[in-house]
Amino acid sequence: MKKKLLAVLLAGTMTVTLGACGGASDSGSKSDDAAATESGDAAASTTASKDAIRFMNTKIEIDTQLKEFAKQYQEKTGQEVIVESLGGGVDVNGQLKNYYAAGNMPDIFAFGVDSYKASFSEWLEPLDGEAWIDDTDYAFKGDDGKVYGMPFALEGIGIGYNKDILDKAGIDPATLTNIDAYKAAFEKIDGMKEELGLQAVCSVAAESGQMNWSTGNHMMAAYYSQGLARDDKTYIDLLNEGKIDEERMGQFADWVKLLFTYADPNVLISGTYDDQLALWATGKAAFITQGNWIDPSLPSYDVTFECGLAPAAFLPEDTDGILVDAPAYWGIYNGSEKIDACKEFLTALAQSEEGQKILVEECGTVSPYKSCTLEPATPLAKSMLPYIKDGKTYAWDWLSQPEGIAQNATGAVFELYAKDQLDKDGFVSTMASTVADYVAANGSN
Amino acid sequence: MNKQLKKTISLAAMALGAASMVIALILDFMRSDVSYRGGLLIVGAVLLIAGVYLLPTRKHRSIINVLFLFPLIFAFAVTVLIPFACGIFYSLTDWNGIKFNNFVGLGNYITMFKSKDYVYSFVVTFIFTVINMLSVNLVAFGLALLCTSKVKGRNLYRAAYFLPNLIGGIVLGYVWQFIFNKVFTSVIAGSVSMLTDPNLAIAAILIVSTWQYAGYIMMIYVTGLQSVPKDVLEASNVDGANQIMTLLKIKVPMIANTFTVCIFLTLVNSFKQFDLNLAITNGAPSRILGGKPVQSTEFLALNIYNTAIGKNQYALGQTKAVVFFIILAVVSLTQVTISKKKEVEM
Repeated sequence: MKKKLLAVLLAGTMTVTLGACGGASDSGSKSDDAAATESGDAAASTTASKDAIRFMNTKIEIDTQLKEFAKQYQEKTGQEVIVESLGGGVDVNGQLKNYYAAGNMPDIFAFGVDSYKASFSEWLEPLDGEAWIDDTDYAFKGDDGKVYGMPFALEGIGIGYNKDILDKAGIDPATLTNIDAYKAAFEKIDGMKEELGLQAVCSVAAESGQMNWSTGNHMMAAYYSQGLARDDKTYIDLLNEGKIDEERMGQFADWVKLLFTYADPNVLISGTYDDQLALWATGKAAFITQGNWIDPSLPSYDVTFECGLAPAAFLPEDTDGILVDAPAYWGIYNGSEKIDACKEFLTALAQSEEGQKILVEECGTVSPYKSCTLEPATPLAKSMLPYIKDGKTYAWDWLSQPEGIAQNATGAVFELYAKDQLDKDGFVSTMASTVADYVAANGSN
Repeated sequence: MNKQLKKTISLAAMALGAASMVIALILDFMRSDVSYRGGLLIVGAVLLIAGVYLLPTRKHRSIINVLFLFPLIFAFAVTVLIPFACGIFYSLTDWNGIKFNNFVGLGNYITMFKSKDYVYSFVVTFIFTVINMLSVNLVAFGLALLCTSKVKGRNLYRAAYFLPNLIGGIVLGYVWQFIFNKVFTSVIAGSVSMLTDPNLAIAAILIVSTWQYAGYIMMIYVTGLQSVPKDVLEASNVDGANQIMTLLKIKVPMIANTFTVCIFLTLVNSFKQFDLNLAITNGAPSRILGGKPVQSTEFLALNIYNTAIGKNQYALGQTKAVVFFIILAVVSLTQVTISKKKEVEM
């Protein structure tokens, strides 16, 4: 009797388990979980109707705000939108590939320039003719000249400065438009380090394991774009052929050396992102080599000083703009059945007052749309606005680098330069050979 | 019940089950949205299993055995065997994570051995494995001797040494990164972090790895040492063997099989080292080798990860993983064979 009972129990368990597996794969195309998740694995809601748009957001920090907007949108138009957020170090492209392989692609997803070329070019619906395209300079165009991506935020790269320190040292940040101005400013501040309470003039981190994205991508960005018209792709095209411009790289090497020389030596060669940020945000350094994405971190250091972004002006000639571009775009999956609904939703997000309010005021981003008059409250984002208004911006050509080059190749060169294992000529020649090798082995972008 | 009837019923159930499973799978492949296809699949599977179970044959016992093994084999196949076969297949193509266009034959394998970073990773992993295997086992055996001696509070020690193993590698890595970067540099004023020198950085990973893993291996040694029969030890004591003689001539040969297990575990574990590597250095610092910069502490597993994820070269990464598997299998099988020969039977 007991044995039979056990057998029945076991058989029951097995059926239930099988049922559970089957159930999951069955509802796979609809997916589950409404309270979608801060942690990474995103999913949508069981109650979702089939007409709901699935929106995959890759900026986890604006998850709540987007969901709020989706709710408003549904109340207004009746169109349900499910926001799924990925973030916290999840390999977003890998996750999208998984969704694709499982036949479970979201209708709207975010992508970057690099992943467009490497992976997603065949999945995107052209967006030509949408109203917002005329309203922005930053729409993403594919190789065939069609618009595929809608920008939703602009980010800026430059040299972050602490205005209070600069004021005390008697330096006007507006004059920092060429390398000599920087050199003079650095020297002056270095001489006043004691009285300003500084540990170092600049906060720079060049360790190749964890900071390669900062050096190999963001610092290198100036080499590609500083001083060039937005559609001038000379240096990035050269790079994708495996070559560098030695003269420009030499000037860039001088600039990098200048930053390294006045940086805190420990943070420079072993510091993490947090170390670099802490040094600047606690007022112990006047400059930092980061962009406006550090804004949200500043309150945690109780930053009270005024700050802004200055141009990464590494050339002897004046270049008075910063690097501004949309780091990612929202695109529509061309296999989706609700393309028109998606287009309407994106337009609403881009151009309606509520959409702009959510993105700019609540998410603290800089709007890529000319019609948007709202201003972000965060200091570095705010300091980007005059540059954008005056058209003093350069493109983010670094986004078109071969994939992984900073992490696997150029980051190491910066570190060796920071540790004085390479001199200026060594930096230029090593950079040349490294780039050539990498492009030869891994292809261009 | 009539045997013929039973047979008919079971055959019918099997046929029905197989048919409904096939229909469900066809629906799935056609990407149909019919909501009952999942249910159909399960009902089919259950019918099929019931039919096989009820089938009156002389092989009933072995059918039952297979039925009960089936869930395990199925899970093993889905999670290990099939992906492994797919992996080998993909390593022969230009797969980019979504699809592949061409077969490239052994092209990926040739590229791989030509790339300097892979060869460097290979060498550095090999060095790390040898040293780490020695240091973990020496430390662990030493601790095990301590914890089986008559020292006071040995249970406390045992727990304390085991504790680091309970912390996840990534967390541990970041904690130790902080220690190397901040604590050591301020304790020894004016020094720079160990993690900025290529050789010292490997030493740093060795320290952390030993610290983390020795406690675990120690536990295995402790169980081994406790299983050495008391009478043998007593006999050797009567014969006048001193501590060292007892250790070398009695205990070590008696627990040779424990050594096999421990060396195998440390060998495989150090070869596959990933989480500490990622968290402590992530490949940094760089060094110049033959005029080219290389990431000095990028071990094989990290190299594979960077190739696939960082460079978006899934096929090449897969190729490296296949070779990684082969090397690991060969090395560990050789080690086990050699160690086995040294074991004594009781």
